[in-house]
Amino acid sequence: MRLALALAGLVLLLAGCAGAAPDGPGRAAAPQAATTERVAADAVVPVSVRVPAIGVDEPEVLSLGVAPDGTAEVPQDYARVGWFDRTLSAQRAGATPADVPLPAGRGPTVLLGHVDSRRGPAVFFRLRDLRPGDVVEVGRSDGSVAGYAIERTEQVAKDTFPTFAVFGATATDVLRLVTCAGDFDRGARSYTDNLVVHAVRVR
Amino acid sequence: MRRALPKLAALSVLTAGAVLFSGGTALADTPVDEPDSFTSMFTVMATPDTVIGTNGQPAPGQPGATGTFNYRINSDEDVICYDLTLNGITGEYQSPARTATHIHEAAEGAAGPPRIAFPNPEGEGDTRTSSGCLQGPFTTGVMANGQDTGTGFTVRQIEENPSAFFGDTHTAEYSAGAVRGQLMAVPMGGVETGAGATEAGSTDAAPAALGAGALVAAAAAGAFALRRRAGRS
Repeated sequence: MRLALALAGLVLLLAGCAGAAPDGPGRAAAPQAATTERVAADAVVPVSVRVPAIGVDEPEVLSLGVAPDGTAEVPQDYARVGWFDRTLSAQRAGATPADVPLPAGRGPTVLLGHVDSRRGPAVFFRLRDLRPGDVVEVGRSDGSVAGYAIERTEQVAKDTFPTFAVFGATATDVLRLVTCAGDFDRGARSYTDNLVVHAVRVR
Repeated sequence: MRRALPKLAALSVLTAGAVLFSGGTALADTPVDEPDSFTSMFTVMATPDTVIGTNGQPAPGQPGATGTFNYRINSDEDVICYDLTLNGITGEYQSPARTATHIHEAAEGAAGPPRIAFPNPEGEGDTRTSSGCLQGPFTTGVMANGQDTGTGFTVRQIEENPSAFFGDTHTAEYSAGAVRGQLMAVPMGGVETGAGATEAGSTDAAPAALGAGALVAAAAAGAFALRRRAGRS
């Protein structure tokens, strides 16, 4: 039994449900950089995030792209928040940031954070506690702070994940925070669901 | 058969008319059922301020109009599924292509030929939509260098360099484009944002299962700590 558990642990480690293994299969080889370290163009991008209602105060956010297996990259560090940078894939393919500008003032901004590590709660553990009206402040590279108000929370099954309802282009400035939820499927080494919190720009 | 010939000729005239004046017919490439799986997905925020004329100069589109274009691709089958939504677009479509809603090949700030022509979004009021799936080989109805601009194009080329392509729609009033935006890759499937230590939100999980989960997590924790340090060094 002990051996079986140890093996299970090993598999868990290598496959990395949370994408924590930097050299794991299907994960980006590129090191994760904070937005502030990014060779940025003049685009206004998120650099920090505060969610006072659940005690989140991150002075830096990571730039995340699409992993080689097509899934979303997630922070390697359970304690940090990442931002889905729509230009990152193109930049890695050799495009300059200027070639793939972000439409100003339009969404969505998607923030990704872990609900837990293998040892305990992680940065977005309390995301489920957010209620309509709670405020999220996103610091941006031009020094401004964009305020968003929580609108609603939804729990979605990963196998029917609504890609475009989370990552799809929007004409208005909206924010989405994503973490894991549901049951932890030990066979798949993964939570069954995602929690998606939708917020809209208020100031 | 002979009787059909005059009809065919009439059809050709109609087609030529469509090419010249409307392009608004809902014809496009082979419509197919949605494939079982996709190899990539892309989204476009289409706006009037990014439109470029065929002369390479800015040619602003319809003020206040927007388009959100979502594409799902299966490059093994050369299939592209599309969900297109236009807001604030008024008037008739117009394009020399077979339809007026396209994916073109050109980078931000540049003009380029259409590679795929989609059925135009339709609908009452302010919002127009179009959804479906098309399978290559693609034809656009636009000829360049003696061949259709869709010739030789496969959706795999989008996967290889999405920002080299843009989505747009053309109207009679804004013939260079009413709205336009570059393709951007979006991730597919669920987001792996948890490792199981807390089994968050599993209110319906049996206590026994919770215990086992914690045990597995504990078994992994020691080795994981090593890995994490290595990853940071």
